[in-house]
Amino acid sequence: MNYDFKQFNMSEEELFTLVDHSSLESEKITAPRYSYWQSVFRVFFRKKSNIIILSILAVLIAFAYIYPLFVDYDKFGNLLNADAKHLSPLKAMNKLGYNIHWILGSGAAGQSTFDAIWFGSRISISLALACAAINMTVGVVIGSIWGFSKKVDAVMMNVYNVLANIPYVLLISVIIMIFTPSFATMVFALTITGWLSIAYFIRTQVIIIRDREYNLASKCLGTSTIKIAIKNILPFMTSVIVTLLATEIPSYISYEVFLAYIGMGLSEMSLGRMIFEAESAMVTPGWGFEFWSPVVVSSIITIVLYVVGQNLGDASDPRTHM
Amino acid sequence: MKLQENGRQGHSPVICDERTNMTKYLIKRLLYGLFSVVIVVAIVMVMIYSLLDRNLIFAQDTTYTHQSNNQKVTYKYQKWEEYGYLDYVTYADYMLELTQKGEIDEDTRASAVGFGRTEEQDSDLVKEYVAKFTEYYESMGYKVERMDAVTMGGKKLASGGQQQLFAYKDLPLASRLWSYFTGLITVDNINYVENDLEDRGLSFTLYDPVYGGEKFSPAIMGNGTYNKYLLYFDNKFPFIHQNLLSINLGTSYSVNQGIDVFTTMTKSQGSYVKSTITYPSGLVEESADDLHTAKYLAGSQSSSLVYADRFVDDYTKVDTVRGGLSKIGYSFVIGILAVIMSYFLGVPIGIMMARKKDKLIDKIGTTYIIFIIAVPSLAYIFLFKAIGGLAGLPTTFDMESSSKVMYILPIVSLALPSIANLMKWLRRYMIDQMNSDYVKFARSGGLSENEIFTKHILKNAIIPVVHGIPSSVLFAMTGAIITERVYVVPGAGNLLTEAINKYDNGVIVGVTLFYALLTVVSVILGDILMSLVDPRISFSTKDR
Repeated sequence: MNYDFKQFNMSEEELFTLVDHSSLESEKITAPRYSYWQSVFRVFFRKKSNIIILSILAVLIAFAYIYPLFVDYDKFGNLLNADAKHLSPLKAMNKLGYNIHWILGSGAAGQSTFDAIWFGSRISISLALACAAINMTVGVVIGSIWGFSKKVDAVMMNVYNVLANIPYVLLISVIIMIFTPSFATMVFALTITGWLSIAYFIRTQVIIIRDREYNLASKCLGTSTIKIAIKNILPFMTSVIVTLLATEIPSYISYEVFLAYIGMGLSEMSLGRMIFEAESAMVTPGWGFEFWSPVVVSSIITIVLYVVGQNLGDASDPRTHM
Repeated sequence: MKLQENGRQGHSPVICDERTNMTKYLIKRLLYGLFSVVIVVAIVMVMIYSLLDRNLIFAQDTTYTHQSNNQKVTYKYQKWEEYGYLDYVTYADYMLELTQKGEIDEDTRASAVGFGRTEEQDSDLVKEYVAKFTEYYESMGYKVERMDAVTMGGKKLASGGQQQLFAYKDLPLASRLWSYFTGLITVDNINYVENDLEDRGLSFTLYDPVYGGEKFSPAIMGNGTYNKYLLYFDNKFPFIHQNLLSINLGTSYSVNQGIDVFTTMTKSQGSYVKSTITYPSGLVEESADDLHTAKYLAGSQSSSLVYADRFVDDYTKVDTVRGGLSKIGYSFVIGILAVIMSYFLGVPIGIMMARKKDKLIDKIGTTYIIFIIAVPSLAYIFLFKAIGGLAGLPTTFDMESSSKVMYILPIVSLALPSIANLMKWLRRYMIDQMNSDYVKFARSGGLSENEIFTKHILKNAIIPVVHGIPSSVLFAMTGAIITERVYVVPGAGNLLTEAINKYDNGVIVGVTLFYALLTVVSVILGDILMSLVDPRISFSTKDR
């Protein structure tokens, strides 16, 4: 290739300088830096529906945690007012005033269903978050050790076979009967063996990844076990853990509703207890609102939490980061 | 040698070796499982007998609240003994036992049994026996308690203020466990009846007297046994029945007083069904009595004219024939139909979702799965009940009705979550398989998509699904708590929660054992089924 350098009116020495080979420069990667969590959120927000769902979640959380701070709710405030009980929204607003409290009608004690739902949601969501946090932490830590060590595996499998066979309902009710059915007791009851299934799940995942070739290679190169666990295996597990979390949080809300229904629930007015107490209202014509509103709200909360978690789980899988 | 271990050669000695290895492995698994069941029962016993406050059982007991003073205390101990917490012996019981053993005569007992209102008022004879009683029971680790009479001033006794003397001891876990597991299965024998009987023994007849002694129907009957009929035929499935072995999971106290958990679960319910029967005395009558269930009740024949007319011996305790199914029966009918329905719907829909990934059917299916996972089960069961009610289906279960329509809603409600679960996992497994090399190879080899899916992918993807079949079939028996409650099904699902609410310890332990055994068996059956479906899976190789 003959290029005409004459057109620049410069000599070849002026045009070119010799560059030395730099071993340091050759090590640099010119691609943009990859940040894991940045990519997760980039992928997550790429889907427009996620923004909508996330804003619904924000509204729900705001109602559950901020709304009760500004409202003075007393379940038995209207107890003596015989006209205020079991009202449909329209009648309630006609009788008790046109404000936000009565848009879902009133309950058996003349209380506002709308207020009761958000006080209940706060307890239910808090319970689910607390249980999920404890169970996930304990479950993931124990599950990883369980998967890594064959000695621990032998012991833990027997522990699992025993503990998994104790009826959950029995365990929870015994704990609730020993202590008072308070929030803390409920968290304790749901977490005392709740971590076990998570740990078992994580154990299976760890065993699948543990003996992969890249970990074997890492081991041959002398990487310590802890480093392999944190650098090689944990990133692989993030999406699994997030997906698991997405199913766990709604499941506690669902479980609390179930326990309340069989009469072993919290003493506080949670969503589950509301559904339990309003069950008779379901079949009574005109009372339907006080039963279906907590059912619908708890369903919305669990669906939103589940969808957000699932999509976050998808986004946290590095294979979607392309 | 290496090949033999892997069993790849397929020579018959290798297969035999594998079979015995597999049997050995499964037996080992079963033993491990049974061992963990024992521990589970032990833990549950500790939970209900030691951790729970035993005063809770009196919370709803009106008899207890109406009593006062010493009587209230002894009532408590009596109840605790009945519920299985402790062993409780009163001084009067002890004296009676001594008389029966022949250590003292009736006159001594009569004069020694009445102890004084306070210790100082005891006569010398009483003092002697009270000391004996105290020494005897304290040496066995019992606690002896004496309560002086409570008087309302003067000599008049306060209500329930009678003086009391008794010994009690908490049953230790080990002996509780031992007696529970040794009493689990009892074999009926001709020495069961303690009273004097003339001709103890078994008799074999070809013409069962229940049918009038003319119809050919072999039966083995016993005299001196607990059950009169040990083996007999009738027209009910499975046509041959036995009473020789009986299972005692635990005696109920408050749920179904005095009846064993196993009987509670398997006894038919509903209204009586009368038929013409011939009693042993020859009396022919329209009655619902089931003479095949006759059991021994000492001295019962002479105690009542009704029995005297009908029976010739003390085997008078008979069950009645009822029209409905048992608790397990209802649960199982509903459960098994729900299982069949969920496999028939869940598997094809799951396959279709995987084949049409990201198409409309996949999206609808995924929405359904999300709905079932996220919405509290209570909420969608109620929703479904409301929809079913609007469609004109019966929303409550009625044992007396012969209509089969009432089964629809419970079955469908029960199937909804398992359909979603099957769809979810089958879709996941199939999509995972779709990217594997053998599928790409099959496709490049020119196989049609249909062939690839049915012959290759499905065969691999169905294996984990197959593993769950025994468990879902067996657990259909235990019933579903919410579904049965919502539709008022008289099934077994509520037994555990009812027992917990009523502090019926016998039932709690029995039901726990039943569930734990089902788990152990179903996991092993699942493994066997899986290895039958997929010959690659073997439990016999050593390096598992």
